[in-house]
Amino acid sequence: MVVVTAKQLDEIVHMLAGRRRVLLLGCNTCAAVALAGGDREVETMIQALQLAISRRGMTVEFVGGVLQRQCEPEYVEAMDAEDIDAILSLGCGAGVAMLAAQTGIPVYPALDTLFIGAAQGLGSWRAECSACGSCVLGETAGICPVTRCAKGILNGPCGGVNDGECELGDRPCAWVEIHERLESQGRGASFAHENPPKDDSAGEMYQWDLSAKGGSR
Amino acid sequence: MATARTREQSASTGSAPARLFAPCRAACPVHVDVPGYLLAVAEGRFSDALDIVIERNPLPSVCGRICLRPCEDGCRRCLLDEPVAIAALKRAAADHGVYPTPRHPKRMRPERVAVVGSGPAGLTAAYDLACLGIHVTIYEEKPRLGGMLRYGIPNYRLPDAALDRDISFILGHGIESKTDIRIGRDITLAGLRASCDAVLVTAGLQLSRPVPIEGVDLPGVLTALPFLDAAARGMRVDVGKRVVVVGGGNVAVDVARTASRLGAREVTMICLESREEMPASDHELHDAETEGIRFLPSWGPRAVLGDDEVTGLRAVRCTSVFDAEKRFAPTFDESVSTILDADTVLFAVGQGVDVADLGVPLTQRGAPVHEPGTMRTPVERVYAAGDCVCGPTKVIDAIAEGHRAAAVIFRDLAGDDRPLVELDADAIAIGKVPEHVAHKLERKRRIQMERLEFYEACDSFDEVEFGYTQYEAAREAQRCLSCTTGARLTREKCAACLTCVRVCPHDVPSLQAGGYLYFDLDACHACGACVSQCPALALSLEGTSEAEMSRKMQRALEDHSVDATLAFRCGSAPGGFLHLGKDTTTLTQSCLLSVSERSVLEALQSGAAKVLFAECDAATCRFPHAQELVARSAERIRSILSQLGMEDAFEVVPVEPLEGEYLPWSS
Repeated sequence: MVVVTAKQLDEIVHMLAGRRRVLLLGCNTCAAVALAGGDREVETMIQALQLAISRRGMTVEFVGGVLQRQCEPEYVEAMDAEDIDAILSLGCGAGVAMLAAQTGIPVYPALDTLFIGAAQGLGSWRAECSACGSCVLGETAGICPVTRCAKGILNGPCGGVNDGECELGDRPCAWVEIHERLESQGRGASFAHENPPKDDSAGEMYQWDLSAKGGSR
Repeated sequence: MATARTREQSASTGSAPARLFAPCRAACPVHVDVPGYLLAVAEGRFSDALDIVIERNPLPSVCGRICLRPCEDGCRRCLLDEPVAIAALKRAAADHGVYPTPRHPKRMRPERVAVVGSGPAGLTAAYDLACLGIHVTIYEEKPRLGGMLRYGIPNYRLPDAALDRDISFILGHGIESKTDIRIGRDITLAGLRASCDAVLVTAGLQLSRPVPIEGVDLPGVLTALPFLDAAARGMRVDVGKRVVVVGGGNVAVDVARTASRLGAREVTMICLESREEMPASDHELHDAETEGIRFLPSWGPRAVLGDDEVTGLRAVRCTSVFDAEKRFAPTFDESVSTILDADTVLFAVGQGVDVADLGVPLTQRGAPVHEPGTMRTPVERVYAAGDCVCGPTKVIDAIAEGHRAAAVIFRDLAGDDRPLVELDADAIAIGKVPEHVAHKLERKRRIQMERLEFYEACDSFDEVEFGYTQYEAAREAQRCLSCTTGARLTREKCAACLTCVRVCPHDVPSLQAGGYLYFDLDACHACGACVSQCPALALSLEGTSEAEMSRKMQRALEDHSVDATLAFRCGSAPGGFLHLGKDTTTLTQSCLLSVSERSVLEALQSGAAKVLFAECDAATCRFPHAQELVARSAERIRSILSQLGMEDAFEVVPVEPLEGEYLPWSS
């Protein structure tokens, strides 16, 4: 899922200056699961913004709502945005983009979109995928070197590995983990070859806006 | 009354889904929302608790004292330690709460109903009918209302003042009462029928007779009800030094304890039943024993001895009371006999109906003929309910009868069966506490109520039990496991994030095959962990909501200056109801988990200068797993407020015990 986190209130208040009636819109898919964009966060952020706005002597009216998924045009079309002069989206970047494209009113992000991640327990996720467009996980025992290796190299480990730790000192070496897991699955020999450089043009094979892969950035 | 069934029964009949009740609520004949009022008491909201009780039971002061509490037998805490003191907490609600202002119906109906007899059944029926807009007049033979509650139950268990509180609340609904009038003697039934649209007979059981043995005509032989009646009116009946009470039920215990208060030095109860079979409730027997009453079970009275006055009672060994079919058929061993010296012999062996002069057809045992379902007697527009037709039952059963009588009369008069449908709605009790949950729940002994020492008690008719203080009541109520008030899932809102699965310490939510989320309500004790964390607001606890919290905060802040501090205080925190400082208003919660980040921000936006979280400590915490979640929530609040430059507006404070304060749970 897409992992998101709330922006600082200052930044949001700054974006909303001069607005009269703002819809805070949550997204009940990834953003809700990431504990940053569900109904609860919409309600909490409305209260926080009201406090912030009143302390600055501003008046903005806030209303709250949640879409099942902001990144689907059908959900956006079914939304009631009457008498709203701006939307503050508590969705990921894709949600903000869809809302902006569909509604014709200014849409602002209340969240920063961080990564595609997997849950590690309550309120904790780890980046597992960088959406590169040409997946190698089959060869790397399900550990993504593009995401988990600091350098994103396709053939590792590099010379900076020290006792299984990355030279940055803040994470295990992804390549050591890849080799260990391959070994444990009896696939140790499968990485005897070198991986060629990744084809970052993979997405360009398609027209960009029709691409199912997202494509090169 | 709605019938309580087990879930298995419901499944096997395949009927429409029934209401799910906590076992205490299912076991109560009037289905008082016990977990609802216990939560209110736990949070110090005694008036709210009283409102909840009165919704189903208009006699909270009475039942809080003398109910035989079938609810407590069902309490799921029985499996862990002792049942919650449900009845005593009902009394606490009535003692410390304010009775609600009588609700007068929008428009009065034209019908008039006369209620004959003012015991629990009659009072309840009158109350229900008055609430439905019907003019009600209660007729009572004795000088004051209350029936057996006043003239049968001694003052040391149910003082007049407590009974009067309930009665004046009931009469406040526009009910007329006429005392010292016996229907059939002072007014004929025909005359009464002419003046109203329906008559309800709730005459109770007013007769008591001695066992027909030799010597019962001697002076010094008394029967239970006239004796208790005289004592209730303040007469000092002279019983002499040695009293023998014949009977093993609760009335016999009342008679024995009353005799001891009237000066008897040696009171002995004899009964046919063995000690285990004695029908009196255990706590009554225990209280009597502490006051020095002697029990002689398994004896049958054969003759009252004496020439001009009573000198004793001869009894023989009773070998069995019931036959194989559980019918009353005592057998005796005449070769084993005993003689008890006595100045007075009191018979408390069953009661009879006294409505011979009423003018309704009677059954063989003298009760009004009636059809149980409709409560109608053969005389048109005359109904009968309560003990006079059911035989001796508990007060709470009589209240249930009163509700039913009012509902059937209302249906017959007004053609509206909604009250009846509501009574007949099915209810099922949830199951036992699952083993994997039971061993995680903290054991907490019941808080003992202060009471008169036995040597003080048996000298006067002062009430023996003092009732809980507010502090003790809140503490005792926090022992409630909050059965059935736990997580409710609104599937349409669920984001399937599994946060609930991750935070629940009892594995209430679980992921079933196919990704289906299932909530096991048998295991849930409404700690609110899942509700507090659900990002989609798809979970809720019964009786609590953000809107309700918002109203409570507004009310709390209304009465205070602009610089007020609002303290959310964990109900498990020590320190009683102490205020946390000048201009601090306190809202007590069963756990701080129920205070959302949103609520704290709203309080600050609504005028509170500062918000406090007054925490419990590890020794008194009711939900240990919640501590980490509360800490996370506090951290989040701090983070938001620091972004707003309001770091000082929120603080988490531990509540220290007062000096010398006893902590009932921590020792």
